[in-house]
Amino acid sequence: MTGGRDTACRRQLGRGLVRRSFKLGQNPLDMTIRDIVLIALFAAIIVAFGLVPVIPVAGLPVPITLQNLAVMLAGAILGPRRGAAATALVMLLVAIGLPVLSGGRGGLGMLLGPSGGFLFGFIAGAFVIGWLAARFARVRGPAWKENGLSILACIAGGIGVCYAMGIPWLALATGLPLEKAALGALVFLPGDLAKAVVAGLVARGVRRVYPIPLK
Amino acid sequence: MTAPLYSPGDSLLHRAPASAKLAGLVVLGTAVFLTADLALLLPAALAGVLLLAIVRPPRARLTRQLAGSAILIGLVALIAGLSQGWHQAAVVALRFSAIVLAALAVTLSTRAADMLEAIEALLAPLDRRGLVDSARIALAVSLVLRFVPDILGHYREIREAQAARGLDANPLALIVPLVVRTLKDADDIAAAIEARGFPPDRPGR
Repeated sequence: MTGGRDTACRRQLGRGLVRRSFKLGQNPLDMTIRDIVLIALFAAIIVAFGLVPVIPVAGLPVPITLQNLAVMLAGAILGPRRGAAATALVMLLVAIGLPVLSGGRGGLGMLLGPSGGFLFGFIAGAFVIGWLAARFARVRGPAWKENGLSILACIAGGIGVCYAMGIPWLALATGLPLEKAALGALVFLPGDLAKAVVAGLVARGVRRVYPIPLK
Repeated sequence: MTAPLYSPGDSLLHRAPASAKLAGLVVLGTAVFLTADLALLLPAALAGVLLLAIVRPPRARLTRQLAGSAILIGLVALIAGLSQGWHQAAVVALRFSAIVLAALAVTLSTRAADMLEAIEALLAPLDRRGLVDSARIALAVSLVLRFVPDILGHYREIREAQAARGLDANPLALIVPLVVRTLKDADDIAAAIEARGFPPDRPGR
């Protein structure tokens, strides 16, 4: 599964960096330099996708920013811990005041505002996508089945988990009843579904040509 | 492109330490949720405006950052007003205006490096227990800033190569090669960093 040329050598180097056990069974520090670089590069993709011009998707009236597509990809391609770390890294950049969210927005106000729950939901969502993707990666079957599972992981984490954190935050912060807050988020559902489908297909496409172990 | 939002200046807020500003923000953020009294929330929102006035950021930057938040807060207040009366709408609007304005004032008046340092100080107890590693966080942050322009460049190249072959913009055909190229780059970058002896040994481990 590993694509690296000198993976064995790198693993040896990585072993020296492992420090202590953590309750997930693995230390968050159980990360090689390559992991850190992958996390940082995916965070850079998430930032870059907030800046690129919108790709029109046929038959969809909603304009699509690609930022949460990139979040889904981080989970689906890097795996749970690295995917969540890449997303958390972007939120750190937001917190220190860099305009890395789509539309050039950033700063602490974004994290504390009414939609902040969705941003924290991205981190948990990327983790869940990665966890599911690692589970589904073992399933072999016809293309439609593998694609379907990959898309399912993106929907569950990128929409399910993200909304499950964002909507109650919105409701709690504004005193709106939960149904009303959920109704408001419904506007974004068609766009997010389209992005989950694209993310699922991209993730499988990448895995086919350049598989890296999910971690 | 990823130039910080920080706008240089010499105001009271610019000179205050980042950690104090963060602490103030936490206090404000908690306080506005503990009360629904307009007589307290209105001054809080006005204080946010005042803080921004002290920082005196460039107007273009201010409107750009505030436009999205203003629409969102307006929308949320409208829904709250229609469903729960206008008192609640005013509470919600003032509450979030106070937080967003004050947070923006802090963001605009604090250098990214100072903010990072303050956040690292917050994480220090975790660092000592080996749960996070500030050297790696710093490496990751600088790598992101370094590689955003590269990734945008790759994106443009791939798009142009496909357009030259008469292909329309297709999200799959665009993103798959971009991600694969990035994954391949990661191997080389990691090798380069290791060759330079990172991470440095840390005493006491």
